Amino acid sequence: MDFELSDMQQMIVDSAERLITAEAGLDLWRDRRALADGVNPVLWNKMAELGWLALTVPEDAGGLGGSMEDAALLMVELGKGIVTEPVVSSGILAARILDRVMVGDTRAALLGAIATGETKVALAHTDPEAASVAPLAARRAGESFVLDGHKVMVFDAPSADQLLATATLDGQAALFLVDAGAQGVSLNTYPLVDGSRAADVAFSGVMLDTQALLATGTVAASVVEEGLDCARVALIAQAVGAMEAAVKISADYAKERQQFGQPIGKFQAIQHIAADMFVASFQARSALYAALRDIDGNAGRRSRVVAMAKVVSGMAGQTVSRNGIQIHGGYGITDEYAISHYYRRLMVLEKQYGSIDAHAARLATIEVGA
Amino acid sequence: MKVQFDEEDEAFRQMVRSRIAEILAVDIRGRQRRILSSASDLEDQRRWFAALDAQGWSVPAWPVEVGGTGWSPLQRFIFEDEMYAADAPEFNWMGSHMVGPVLYTFGSEAQKARFLPSIRNGKEIWAQGFSEPSSGSDLASLRTQARRETEHYVVSGSKIWTSGAFEADWLFCLVKTDAQGKPQRSVSCLLIDLKTPGITIRRIQQMNGEAHLCEVFFDEVRVPVENLVGEQGAGWTYAKFLLDHERTTSSFVFWIKRELARTRELGRVILRGGRPLIEDTYWSRRLAIAAAEIEAHEWSVLRVLSEERSDFPISAGASVLKVKGAELQQTITGLQVDMLGDQSLRDYGGSRNPPSTDPLWPDVVQGRTSRAMAARAATIYGGSQQIQKNILAKLALGL
Repeated sequence: MDFELSDMQQMIVDSAERLITAEAGLDLWRDRRALADGVNPVLWNKMAELGWLALTVPEDAGGLGGSMEDAALLMVELGKGIVTEPVVSSGILAARILDRVMVGDTRAALLGAIATGETKVALAHTDPEAASVAPLAARRAGESFVLDGHKVMVFDAPSADQLLATATLDGQAALFLVDAGAQGVSLNTYPLVDGSRAADVAFSGVMLDTQALLATGTVAASVVEEGLDCARVALIAQAVGAMEAAVKISADYAKERQQFGQPIGKFQAIQHIAADMFVASFQARSALYAALRDIDGNAGRRSRVVAMAKVVSGMAGQTVSRNGIQIHGGYGITDEYAISHYYRRLMVLEKQYGSIDAHAARLATIEVGA
Repeated sequence: MKVQFDEEDEAFRQMVRSRIAEILAVDIRGRQRRILSSASDLEDQRRWFAALDAQGWSVPAWPVEVGGTGWSPLQRFIFEDEMYAADAPEFNWMGSHMVGPVLYTFGSEAQKARFLPSIRNGKEIWAQGFSEPSSGSDLASLRTQARRETEHYVVSGSKIWTSGAFEADWLFCLVKTDAQGKPQRSVSCLLIDLKTPGITIRRIQQMNGEAHLCEVFFDEVRVPVENLVGEQGAGWTYAKFLLDHERTTSSFVFWIKRELARTRELGRVILRGGRPLIEDTYWSRRLAIAAAEIEAHEWSVLRVLSEERSDFPISAGASVLKVKGAELQQTITGLQVDMLGDQSLRDYGGSRNPPSTDPLWPDVVQGRTSRAMAARAATIYGGSQQIQKNILAKLALGL
């Protein structure tokens, strides 16, 4: 065990710190809302140039072959700067799944394009839960497949070039690669509270050739779950960064803001809720390390630690972001102050790919089985 | 950064586990499992310490020259983890974790020769005399006086919350050697034989039926000057050293993990509506969330042990461990009581019981409520939750 950063890890962190200091901040976060698909193309290219999208892509597919620990360190920095571009959904989630199910030249080509940022891929996995809206189903038509139905809350779909879609086929799970612009694919896009984008995706008679089917049955289910667990760890790391930043700006504010003739940070009532924020963010970073320990382990161990870390970081994020607003007083709930942006970002990071409650339920099932 | 235990660490764990299984007597283990109080049976402590000492393992953290093992911090972590997992008696921390390190760092050669061996083999048990009736969190206001007379200090005053003083042999005691001066220069450390005339010890009845905490009264107690630690007036420095030396002890992480294991056992053993309680979603979820927090806490300990580089001083990490450790002691024991429902209300008293033969009251039930009550003190002793938060606000946040 070693908590020291390697030279390469230090380099990743330094480069991220530099870019985020130069490019992040309130103006950028607000301007993002006006962008068509939530992605700032200039920033996206810089991220790609720095190798952020290539970080965990294997070397034989044009990536840097980094570990999840390397990725987590980068993600902490992204969290500090509230970077909402689809680094996780394309560079980690989709890349990990595609790496597991594709082979040969097509694998190298697609992963290579993800690594350079040319292509963005989003996972369309959540089925709708409304009686009148059909979940996504695939059927065979000779050598081809036809997709009909819906996926909801597809994170980063509006900026995606390709969709990785899970669907039922012959009564079991299947995974397809679909061009986002294909005939019959339509998106109902919406912004999320942190300025990023998602969409509900309708598939209507979408025709796919044989190669579009990437995996079926338990393989399809397990590669998606593995990809999601990696993405969850990346989000947890972002949450750690966001919390550490929120703790700092709240403490700074408490030193500046004067009431009753002194900085409010002199009052124990403020000191103690600030200390609670510090304890929570410390705990969240520890949870991240616990998850990293087993992220490459077998599915059982991996799934347990990721759920555990998602629960702990989610609760910590709530403590930090809620207390952060409280310390800022009325200004805390305005768009003018950074703390409200951290609040919103931490809310997304807590709910995305499974909320505290969803992962507590997952853990509880493991407890019963143990 | 690489957050994995190496193969060597795992091999070390296996070695420690099997050796503990060999040397930990079955009767001691059984009593520890059925314990009602926060302190282990004194005789068990002595026997266990002697067994560990024979192995050279009773004071792993000490320097090798004075009997330590030379293990890395991570190995010591694994060792303690395994001790608790095996239901070994609680350490006599005062001697091995606190007095020992102060003595081998600041003590005279004569003190080292006199006291270290008997701490190592468990023959002498130590208590700590810090708090006083009017000096709790505000330790600097302590009043117990030690007047110097040629070859003796004459001590008058009283100490309170002294764990196990009634059965301890020695007291590591903070006294005022200068009535006027600032605490930084007027407090000294004395090693006091608890059998010295003039000492009266009163056990304090606690709400969980035990009487482990004591009040110690000093009436013109004569303590030889050779029992002064280091320099007169430097006691504050030694007390701070002592508190800073054990950054991770107050995390109680191994204790909490053991209670987590017991909570899981309760979940399987206790039936509700004919089914194990754990199969109820409400309980499995509460347990899952507690387990998640505990696992993260364990990694916090590893980070502090490894002195991970950070923007804040490492002692802020120690305060985090104290805050979270105290909170989790209460969370996990509170969960046990809640799981038991009205079964938690039975008062087992404070004494040892033989193994249960009553299927309605399995062994794992007794002691849960008593422990939960004792855990209410976790957020008070060793620097209360509020004091820790004051420290964090200053050290970590600059407020």
